Amino acid sequence: MSNPLTLAPAPRSEAAERVRGEVRDFLAEELAAGTFSTHVDTWLSGVDPEFSRKLGERGWLGMTWPKQYGGHERTAMERYAVTEELLAAGAPVAAHWIADRQSGPNLLQYGTEKQRQEILPRIARGECYFVIGMSEPDSGSDLASIRTKATRNEAGDFVVNGAKVWTSNAHVSHYGIVLVRTSPVDTTNRHAGMSQLLIDLSLPGITINPIRILDGGHHFNEVVFEDVVVPGDMLLGEEGNGWHQVTAELAFERSGPERFLSTYPLMAEFARRVAASGDPAGLVALGRLSARVLALRQMSLRIAAALDRGELPNIPAALVKDVGTTFEADVIEEVRRVVDVLPSLDSPDPLARALAEAQLHQPGFTLRGGTNEILRGIVARGLGLR
Amino acid sequence: MATDQDLVIETVRGLLAKHEPFDPTPERRWDEGLWSALAENGLTGVGLPESAGGSGGDLADAVAIVRTLASGAGAVPVAEQLLVAGPAVVAAGLPLPPVDEPLTFGIADGVAASPSGDAWTLTGTATDVAWAGVAAHVALLATGPEGEVLALLPTADLPASGAVNLAGEPRGSLTLEGVPALVAPLTAAQVRELRAGFALARAVQLAAALEQVLAWTVQYAGERQQFGRALAKFQAIQMELAEMAGEVTAVTALTDAAVQALGHGDENFSLAAAAAKVRAGAAVEVVARLAHQVHGAIGFTQEHKLHHLTKRLWSWRDEAGSELVWSRVLAQGLLAEGPDGLWPALTRAV
Repeated sequence: MSNPLTLAPAPRSEAAERVRGEVRDFLAEELAAGTFSTHVDTWLSGVDPEFSRKLGERGWLGMTWPKQYGGHERTAMERYAVTEELLAAGAPVAAHWIADRQSGPNLLQYGTEKQRQEILPRIARGECYFVIGMSEPDSGSDLASIRTKATRNEAGDFVVNGAKVWTSNAHVSHYGIVLVRTSPVDTTNRHAGMSQLLIDLSLPGITINPIRILDGGHHFNEVVFEDVVVPGDMLLGEEGNGWHQVTAELAFERSGPERFLSTYPLMAEFARRVAASGDPAGLVALGRLSARVLALRQMSLRIAAALDRGELPNIPAALVKDVGTTFEADVIEEVRRVVDVLPSLDSPDPLARALAEAQLHQPGFTLRGGTNEILRGIVARGLGLR
Repeated sequence: MATDQDLVIETVRGLLAKHEPFDPTPERRWDEGLWSALAENGLTGVGLPESAGGSGGDLADAVAIVRTLASGAGAVPVAEQLLVAGPAVVAAGLPLPPVDEPLTFGIADGVAASPSGDAWTLTGTATDVAWAGVAAHVALLATGPEGEVLALLPTADLPASGAVNLAGEPRGSLTLEGVPALVAPLTAAQVRELRAGFALARAVQLAAALEQVLAWTVQYAGERQQFGRALAKFQAIQMELAEMAGEVTAVTALTDAAVQALGHGDENFSLAAAAAKVRAGAAVEVVARLAHQVHGAIGFTQEHKLHHLTKRLWSWRDEAGSELVWSRVLAQGLLAEGPDGLWPALTRAV
């Protein structure tokens, strides 16, 4: 009996290997020039608009989108190769990450022609950044319990009140795609009555307050909306269809290499240490970690191939994220078991630094984008259990 | 010969349905009836070239047969014949024994191959030989005067010890004292690929058995009622089954990719196989533990079918090189181009 969550193997892509080589050369040049330094979890913490613009110039953002919107009409497999190279190098990709991965495809699917023409080319140039406005102070895993409310005024515009949290890099972003209640809660269908609004974060009535994570970094924010007037044509998709729209995009959000490579820079430092010492226990640990990375790459590639076939494999994507984020945290412990090193953010030893960064970011890996408990519930549904 | 994989799988399943898994005993060490049925259907030569006496078909067909038999706990040396010994014998230019007679494989570092005139003899003990005492022929990776060799010999007249693995599958020793054999020298690359091919064969079997154990456990959780509802309705059980599914999916994805690498003749095939064996072996702990946990006490008895696969999982993960052995090989291979070379090596491996 075959496992219902298993997708067809990904075909080999010469185009992907070609662009992989180009990205690798670019990264080597940038590292040599000192324009960035390697860090852990840079798709959350590595904000560098200049770097994002360089990627845009080279055609590595909006890769799969139609050319008429500034895209490059390349495959998800090619995009996979680009994103995985950037993450493995620990490059600063946070500024554009959400816009390129998620908001752009969201606009392509549900945006108006005007929105697509105005915004998508800017995202593809690396100039326009997005946040996801889903979680709220009282709504985490239970997303359907959100309270941020949008009501229509006489002019047909939306008046938004409420607050969104964990909005990564809202303080440097231009827009948010915000899930709001546009109708009161329907107790017989709690997923009804929600809508997605495209909100310009510079509008009056929006306050962005920093929320610092464990290492003191400012990536998260609370975004507060007080009587914010959002033009009526900034409704994304259909009014009342918000729940369907946010869940439909999860294959993009949950299956990419950022779900298992957040701590890869630590693994790379560990490999350097093992190569230098030849420690047999270190080799074994590195081999075990490598086998897990290789399996995760194949799982993630299968999703990319399915996206290229026009499928939206949301349940297999949840599985990739569960297995991948568990791995990201396990890297820390595998390294600690065989190398005696004190984690320190300001150590001259790159392994000590990477270990410290990874440790202080670790609790987030299995929370963001759907906790692993939620993901396993989705997988259980895929297995026919619920 | 059918080359359509679905047809192959259906045929093997049909044969398996008439041959329930059993606990091998000294009197009944393998499923001879199943083997005969497979041989009569031309399934014991699949993937081996017709010019050498095989049945034709490609690697994917052979893998489909091995997978199906593994998930049905078929006690026959098909993985060894179709994926390891058969291809190795053909590649080495040795004559393939008739494919309706079981051919197995063993790594026999302790066996010395010595030339005498045009012929060769073998001396030493080959340990942990799969299906020793059952197979009609064995291909051994033995030590020749100038490096490793592949030695092919009939085993009918050889005494085999009765050792078995946890599932009762024969894993005995063959003691050889000047036994004649056909011998072909192997290059270092051929030796590496042969060892990797053996590991991949076990990984393919592990992947199939892991999938089946998951399927059985999902089914059982749906049927077993406690506290007035099916086990599957409890979140704690759902979390465990989802964790099993993650492991199984990871193993399948990597094992399939390694099989593809073998089919394409990739130069990095041995690293792909090493990774597949490590990943499959690592999944066994999680999947077997949780499968038994969900099945409860009945799964801990010989009355229930679960043990036919979990005992094989616990055996196969350590055969053809454990995670310990292959993770070291994998790491060394990935670091071959220097301390900064890990990432490029990973993206080349599969």
